[in-house]
Amino acid sequence: MENHTNIILKTEDLCKYYGVGDNQVKAVDHVNLEIRQGGFVSIIGKSGSGKSTLLHMLGGLDNPTAGKVFIDGENIASFKEEKLSKIRRRKIGFIFQAYNLIPSLNVWENIVLPLGLDGKPLDESFINDIIKTLGLSEKVKNLPNTLSGGQQQRCAIARAIAAKPSIILADEPTGNLDTRTGDETMALLKASAAKYGQTLVVITHNEEVAQMADRTIILADGRILSSGESEVVSDEK
Amino acid sequence: MKNNTVLCLALSKLRYNRSRTLLTGIAIMLTTMLLMAIGTVGIAVFDMNRQMFSEMDYHATFTGLTADQVNVLSKHINVEAMSTSEIFADIVNGKMNGVLSYRETVKDGRITDGDDSSDSRELASGHYPEAENEICSSPIFFRRVGAEPVIGGKVTLSFRVNGKGEILTEEFTISGLEPDVEISGEIDDSRLMWAAHVSRALLEKYRADGLYEPSLYATLRVYGEDELAFDEMADRINAVAADIGLDEASVNINRQYLYTVTDPGTEIMVVVAAISLIVILFSALVIYSIYYVGVITDVQEIGKLKALGASGRQIAKLFYWQGAIVSVFAVPVGLLMGFLLPYFLFPLALYAYQNGSAISSYSRDAVEAVIGQIHMFSLPVLLAAVVAALVTVAISLQKPIRLAKKVSPVEAIRYQENSADRKNRKGHHEVKVSTLTLANLTRNKRRTAVTLLTMGLSCVLFICVSAVLSSVSAEDLARRNIPKGDFRISLKYSQHDVEYPENNLDSLVQQAYFNEAFLAELSAIDGVESVERAPGKILSSTDITSAMYEDYYNRLPLSYFTRDDLAELNANLEQGSIDYDRMTANNEIVCTHVYSFEQYGLSLGDTFPLTLHDGSREIPLTVTLTALTQPDSDFSLLIMTEDTWNSLGLACDPTTDIYLYADDKHYDSVKEALLELVAENEHFILYSMDVEMRIGRSSLGLTKNPLYLLLILISVIGFINLINTMITSIVTRRKELGILQALGLSDRQLARMLSGEGLVFTAGTLLISVTLGNLFGYLLFLWAKEQHFMSISRYHYPVWETVGLALVLLIGQTIIALFINRKVKNESLIDRIRNEE
Repeated sequence: MENHTNIILKTEDLCKYYGVGDNQVKAVDHVNLEIRQGGFVSIIGKSGSGKSTLLHMLGGLDNPTAGKVFIDGENIASFKEEKLSKIRRRKIGFIFQAYNLIPSLNVWENIVLPLGLDGKPLDESFINDIIKTLGLSEKVKNLPNTLSGGQQQRCAIARAIAAKPSIILADEPTGNLDTRTGDETMALLKASAAKYGQTLVVITHNEEVAQMADRTIILADGRILSSGESEVVSDEK
Repeated sequence: MKNNTVLCLALSKLRYNRSRTLLTGIAIMLTTMLLMAIGTVGIAVFDMNRQMFSEMDYHATFTGLTADQVNVLSKHINVEAMSTSEIFADIVNGKMNGVLSYRETVKDGRITDGDDSSDSRELASGHYPEAENEICSSPIFFRRVGAEPVIGGKVTLSFRVNGKGEILTEEFTISGLEPDVEISGEIDDSRLMWAAHVSRALLEKYRADGLYEPSLYATLRVYGEDELAFDEMADRINAVAADIGLDEASVNINRQYLYTVTDPGTEIMVVVAAISLIVILFSALVIYSIYYVGVITDVQEIGKLKALGASGRQIAKLFYWQGAIVSVFAVPVGLLMGFLLPYFLFPLALYAYQNGSAISSYSRDAVEAVIGQIHMFSLPVLLAAVVAALVTVAISLQKPIRLAKKVSPVEAIRYQENSADRKNRKGHHEVKVSTLTLANLTRNKRRTAVTLLTMGLSCVLFICVSAVLSSVSAEDLARRNIPKGDFRISLKYSQHDVEYPENNLDSLVQQAYFNEAFLAELSAIDGVESVERAPGKILSSTDITSAMYEDYYNRLPLSYFTRDDLAELNANLEQGSIDYDRMTANNEIVCTHVYSFEQYGLSLGDTFPLTLHDGSREIPLTVTLTALTQPDSDFSLLIMTEDTWNSLGLACDPTTDIYLYADDKHYDSVKEALLELVAENEHFILYSMDVEMRIGRSSLGLTKNPLYLLLILISVIGFINLINTMITSIVTRRKELGILQALGLSDRQLARMLSGEGLVFTAGTLLISVTLGNLFGYLLFLWAKEQHFMSISRYHYPVWETVGLALVLLIGQTIIALFINRKVKNESLIDRIRNEE
């Protein structure tokens, strides 16, 4: 945490508790971390270690019990829903394990959806570039249920990148894919994020995926066991 | 054991889909309620008719009989029972309409005619008149003529025997009093018909003096009521009339009673069955739609059940159990409400009717006697309602069950709602909130269509019947008496009174009551905006023999039409042609009464001489009858063109009616002033819009209001469908909506998207109902007009009903959207995204 410039994402004593008294579960417990712009951070830990909860709070999907989440220096934990939704569509791109595409929209519409919600004009060449990079050019008119798992996840990646967010949060992006497709997808995700200068935070069980990251945070029982600071290779890649 | 598993599953599904269960329950409850209510009203109407007709169990009345004919009739083999009545004299007492009558049972037997003069009616005290000077009536009658209603009391009455001749005055002694009646509301004297009974001795005295010519009126029953059909009874009655040389025009068959006894309840049953069928159709559509939507959203679950080994039969049972369990609760509630609703509302409707239409004390009495004694409960109706409701549920389950049976376990688990056949979607270049709305609606076009159709159809029915009901207008009825403005002052005149010719129209027009000075006086009343004369009338007579003139004491009022009236006259033309200039050139006239034309013995093209009486001269005019029309507005029976009228050079003021327009603020004070003015002249009658409207409304309300209630309930069932579709579409998309929010869809955008979906349903429903509803509504109106249903004559676009429907749909769907939105928001975003159904 020596370099405070270019910190895009930061938490201060971030907590998420469920229940009270003896039944209290500390899903995330006093987590402090800083992530620099353009980095690729993986978060690993066993089931129930609080990875997903942390990611959701980083993305403003869940409210912390205590503590702060700073995105670009702004504490989003204090934001109202309306402002949060703006942050989500402008600064964050989500990728879920279950892809979570909108079934009634085709591939193209799914990809441009966050832009549409923000009322931003389309940067068509940019979108087409992403689609080409992710190998979806032939599938733009397809409905999600006609795609394979790998294609659906690529579509989800394209959607996450399309609005040019500063941060991409991915929750087990390869969890539903076979090893080969998983590797390919991860490589594409990393390359795309690097190409468009986006910060990538990935939750994973997969050691290989974790290896691909610039830095790996290990979580256990809601606390950071290792923040992986020593493994930072470069902020600029 | 298996069954128990399915039953448990059904129960848990009902608990899990609570809102769907509730909606199905409400739909089934409303269906049962409607069916039960319709049946109960049917029973009530039938019972009321039975009771009312038992007060009037005569088969026919014969009019214009001589004493000899009565004598033959009383001995006729087919006549079971008979009574006669005769109007002895018209009471002369200011503007009061009243008669002195005598009634007698000629041939004993079961016969009641519900008339006040019936001697089968119990008197409250005293006895029917026997001595020459005895009289009996209701206390209110005696109070009206200024006498104290006590037995032995004296009352002096002026009257004209047979409605003509000199005015005579006699003092009577009150021998009996009928039960008192009350006339509620302010009813103009000109609307009431009073009657008092006098003795046979009095009639005999006047007949002996040659002053009274009896014209009898027989009320009779013929044998065969229990064996013969309606037509055979009618034939028998006509045959009896023919035997005494009476033509069919003098025979008036008591159709309602005869229908009721020869064909008990068939007519009511047909109506009840028809309305029930409509209710079943709509309810089945709605319940079907709720289950259909349920199957679509439960495909995965059904697939899982099948994967676990559930057979098609078990899946079917699962649905039947769900329907049965909901019905167990919904049907009894529906039955109870369906019985209680008419139980309390039916007598209220009758009271309202009775209070408003107290034009003759008879209708009040008959209704009053029946209220409170109407038998409404019927076990067969209850069972029929239960069966019909269950059949409706069963029918509506068929298609969803077939659909559920077809679900394949493998496909179902991977099923996504729009996966049916579609692979691609053309899509939009940019995605806006509206794109999301449309994408969701087109995702399952069939579901959207089914919802639109069911909602649309119930609203089509609403608009369609509203179009007819709004044409059943109290104002139209009121406008028959007051065609223009707020008040009408009418000249009360006789046509051919030999004894008192000063009351005849030809004399009155010479008086020029409605002269400029009088009109100026009216105009000067504070609040009177304008005064207008109606086309004048003069009396005409003719040498030719026609019932047209005989019906009117041989003097018929004649009037004219203007070029402005041509459109209306031509629109309702039945025969011939109306060409203003040709008619003026040839002195042609138009007859405006289609229904009696046949009896007049005239045909188009007939040329005949008329004599016109303007009070100072007799003007000869030969006219040709060239057209027959039935206009909605009030015209004289015979009309000529205005130009022909002007060419007559009348030396009088033929105005018989004037119309007054008052501003709304001064209506009451104007009316008060007019009442005073009218009271000063015995020839003036005042008609005021408020009274006419009240009479119109109350006589229409009895039919109109229950029909509206029925329509509203049908629409509620349709509306439940919208609620279901919206709830289902949102609840099942919880995860999808969560993802959209994770991607940045704001609360406001979410609300816009959801209300957009509702708006499409609302707009679609409105479009279907306004277009189809009005088209069918107009056709139904034309049919109703043809059938003379509730005196319907003019088409009124159902503006308020349409606006009301639009508002209810808009507000309703907004409330639903808000409610569901809030419900969805109670769940955290993360829970929704994780939600895997």
